[in-house]
Amino acid sequence: MIGQILIHALFGAAVTATLLYGLALRHPGNTWYTRVARTLFTLLALGLVASASMLVVNIIQHRFEYTYVWSYSSRELPLHLLVACFYSGQEGSFLLWTMLVALIGVFLTPYARRHNYEEPVMMFYGLILSFLTLLLIVKNPFAFYYETFAADGITLADVPLNGRGLNPLLHNAWITIHPPILFTGFAAMSVSFAFAMAGLVRRDYHRWISIALPWTLFATAVLGFGIMLGGFWAYETLGWGGFWGWDPVENSSLIPWLVTVALVHAMLVQKRTHGLVKTNMILAVTTFVMVLYSTFLTRSGVLGDTSVHSFVDPGKFAFWILLLFMLTFTSIGVIMVLVRRKDMNINREEFSPSTREFMLSIGSALIMASAIFVTIGTSWPVIMEVIGQPKVAVATDFYNKIHLVLVPAVLIVNALALLMQWRSTPKHLLMRRTLEAAIGAGVFTGVMAVFGVRDIGPLILSFSAWFSLIVNLRVGWSMVTKSATMAGAYVSHTGIALLIFGVITTSSYTESHHAVLIHGVPTKVGEYTLTYLGKEQIEKHFVDREKLRYDVRIEKDGESRVVAPVLYWSDFNQRQSAFLEPGIRWGVMNDLYVSPKATENEDLFLRTKIQKSATIASPLDSSMSITLDRFTMPMEEGAAADGRMQMAAMLTIQHGGASHEVKALTRIGTGSAGPTFDPEWVTIPGTTTSVGLSEIVRNNEDPSKSSGELVFKDITKPMPIPREIFTVEFSVKPFISLVWIGVITMVAGFGFSIVRYTRLLKQQSPLAQGKRPPSSDVKPEILQVQPTDANSNQT
Amino acid sequence: MTNEITTQPRPFPWKYAIAGVAIAVLAFVGYTAFDSSSVEYTNVARAEQLGKTVQIVGTWVKEEGLSYDAPSNVFRFSMKDEQGKIIPVELAGAKPNNFEIAVSVVAKGRVENGIFKASNVLTKCPSKYEGQPAEAMPRS
Repeated sequence: MIGQILIHALFGAAVTATLLYGLALRHPGNTWYTRVARTLFTLLALGLVASASMLVVNIIQHRFEYTYVWSYSSRELPLHLLVACFYSGQEGSFLLWTMLVALIGVFLTPYARRHNYEEPVMMFYGLILSFLTLLLIVKNPFAFYYETFAADGITLADVPLNGRGLNPLLHNAWITIHPPILFTGFAAMSVSFAFAMAGLVRRDYHRWISIALPWTLFATAVLGFGIMLGGFWAYETLGWGGFWGWDPVENSSLIPWLVTVALVHAMLVQKRTHGLVKTNMILAVTTFVMVLYSTFLTRSGVLGDTSVHSFVDPGKFAFWILLLFMLTFTSIGVIMVLVRRKDMNINREEFSPSTREFMLSIGSALIMASAIFVTIGTSWPVIMEVIGQPKVAVATDFYNKIHLVLVPAVLIVNALALLMQWRSTPKHLLMRRTLEAAIGAGVFTGVMAVFGVRDIGPLILSFSAWFSLIVNLRVGWSMVTKSATMAGAYVSHTGIALLIFGVITTSSYTESHHAVLIHGVPTKVGEYTLTYLGKEQIEKHFVDREKLRYDVRIEKDGESRVVAPVLYWSDFNQRQSAFLEPGIRWGVMNDLYVSPKATENEDLFLRTKIQKSATIASPLDSSMSITLDRFTMPMEEGAAADGRMQMAAMLTIQHGGASHEVKALTRIGTGSAGPTFDPEWVTIPGTTTSVGLSEIVRNNEDPSKSSGELVFKDITKPMPIPREIFTVEFSVKPFISLVWIGVITMVAGFGFSIVRYTRLLKQQSPLAQGKRPPSSDVKPEILQVQPTDANSNQT
Repeated sequence: MTNEITTQPRPFPWKYAIAGVAIAVLAFVGYTAFDSSSVEYTNVARAEQLGKTVQIVGTWVKEEGLSYDAPSNVFRFSMKDEQGKIIPVELAGAKPNNFEIAVSVVAKGRVENGIFKASNVLTKCPSKYEGQPAEAMPRS
């Protein structure tokens, strides 16, 4: 009850704080509004932390009278997973998002205040929180079980003894870090939007760029890292075989990231040249709107049929609030930009094509093109449905084809941008450096061609990646020798080039083999020899699962390693279907990846299909003929000793002039994959042949066309024990480590840039002027590198 | 956003040409990639008629069972589309996760000789919230 009241109070606090900041903006002399709004905002953040804590405590205490706790947790879970249950469902993940937005706001308030931006920034920020808390009221994690299921006759006294549990796919360490990081990135994207809108309110079209830049870099870095963690999770645990599948859920986190990358570069251009004023406003709005749009796509259930992720239908009301949320902020952005459109035209800048600013603009445009294509591809099923056409989805090769053009273009533009200088570039210098880098890239690409990269797509990608890498290392090195904080961009671009190399090698040169491994039998698979060594049950202390580790030995050239893919059955889906985890041998040069597909026992019986009234020869003795007269009905046979239903095949067997009537019984069970048949063996009189009925295929339309399957064995021969067969997909993934190294390098580069731009800002801020002079090693850098920034504060 | 460059003023008109060509190339690439990659959601009857790659939403016909042939890596089952028409499906791969408990399946592939040859089968698991309260409700 307290939880529900608290959520409503938080919505009230968010709305009031927003209004008060608005009033403070109208009455600049009156500090009372700002002070109260600030207090309310602090209370709001505290309240959200309190709500989140209450939810976590409810989960840890197994208070299943709450629908949310019942839906996503259970008594069996260890503590770190119980904490993760907090954001495993929609309600909790909205709460996490809202809380992170508010917590970032706690740091943002003094920051904005220092730069004399508190009122307008926090007004828009408060509006975002108002919508988020409204969403929490609708998708309330504190709803009671008896409320949710009142229509099913559930009363206050009905409290479940255990919860439904957490999806076993989520039972690992990744769930404790991936969602919080992703949501921190999403939450931080609100900041650039709030600053852009505040800039428009203040008619300050330049200064906001410098102030918002460190936050935008932070959001980009964190979201990028979060996306990579998701890919790593899919690769390492879920056994999807790759790190990226262009799935709608993946795409919907990629789109805001692409837009914010475009925004970061356009902001840099404006910082130096005062151009791209409107572009930056539009990009800042788009970034945030795309965060909302991706939330809408993944949370409203509209993409239900197109993703491997399971979606939960949030209900009509939440659907409309999400839509309203998105439309409101799109309208705010569009209207604000339109209102100030004339004003912003004052500082029009022209870029000459051989300048860094021009190339950066082209680069941003190309990245936006990528974002637009991914958005169109992901939204296509929804678009078609909205306009009443038959639903059409795009296959993932759409994205691959597009990016085979866009990625090389971006990499080459990136290198050219660095080869050029701000404002103007001496032609001879540009030509010489470009040529040098191109020759270097050509040589390295040639080396890769020697090692087997022969297809045109990968070759073009390789060339552009080398071109970018060489230029970044070269220019970067000369910059780093001046000041280490300058390294950011070059480190990030190096990371991107490494990532692209990883993508080229894994997507085009991964060898995959389908392998059927018989227990103990070494099997040659590609260049490797695989042996299935046996299985062992693990995690036996959990009663809710049967988890088996399948040891597979991989040998090549005398080297041998054992990997252990896992197959397990969980109560979560009533043990009807196994969950799978791959076994991976990690390596710098390549990963060996064993993905389990199926297990079964060797089939040692001779099986023969037989139609009703048909006659066949025995597979053991062709002089014996067998006729299937009819199937008996379950009523005739009664139940077997174990309670199962029984049916039988009435067979007439002709052998050596004699004729025998044989009744082959079978016990029928109900398996998840249809009925199961357990034959009872009968030995045919005067022979050593035993027969059993192993399947009945009923033809309901025409019972005379029903058929069955008979199994035969020779009773004089000892029956070998069937061996286990483990079917896997075995793949060799060259240089996949570059994907992870590349992304981490890229994120690290953002770290450098955040430090750099925060320092620059501190030294330039009018309110921080008293704190000058800073450390002497940074000051000259501003004078050299940022000559135009001195003018950027004039408004 | 791409046309932002084109809104720059005029001194170097050939800049527009660069931007224009770039946009035209991208639009062309986008269109051709899209055209060859779009996959319609449809039913069995239309899939048979079209003969090209489509996606069918339907349910698994439990009575007809399922089988996986490990050596050839083929998973066989029958699915019923929303109009109730049944077609045998051969998936080039192993049984998808949670196949048995899926409330519906989405198969992507094409019809060849009366069999739906699928390259991919997605399973949609019962959504938790559409669910009912726990069965056999114990009182505490």
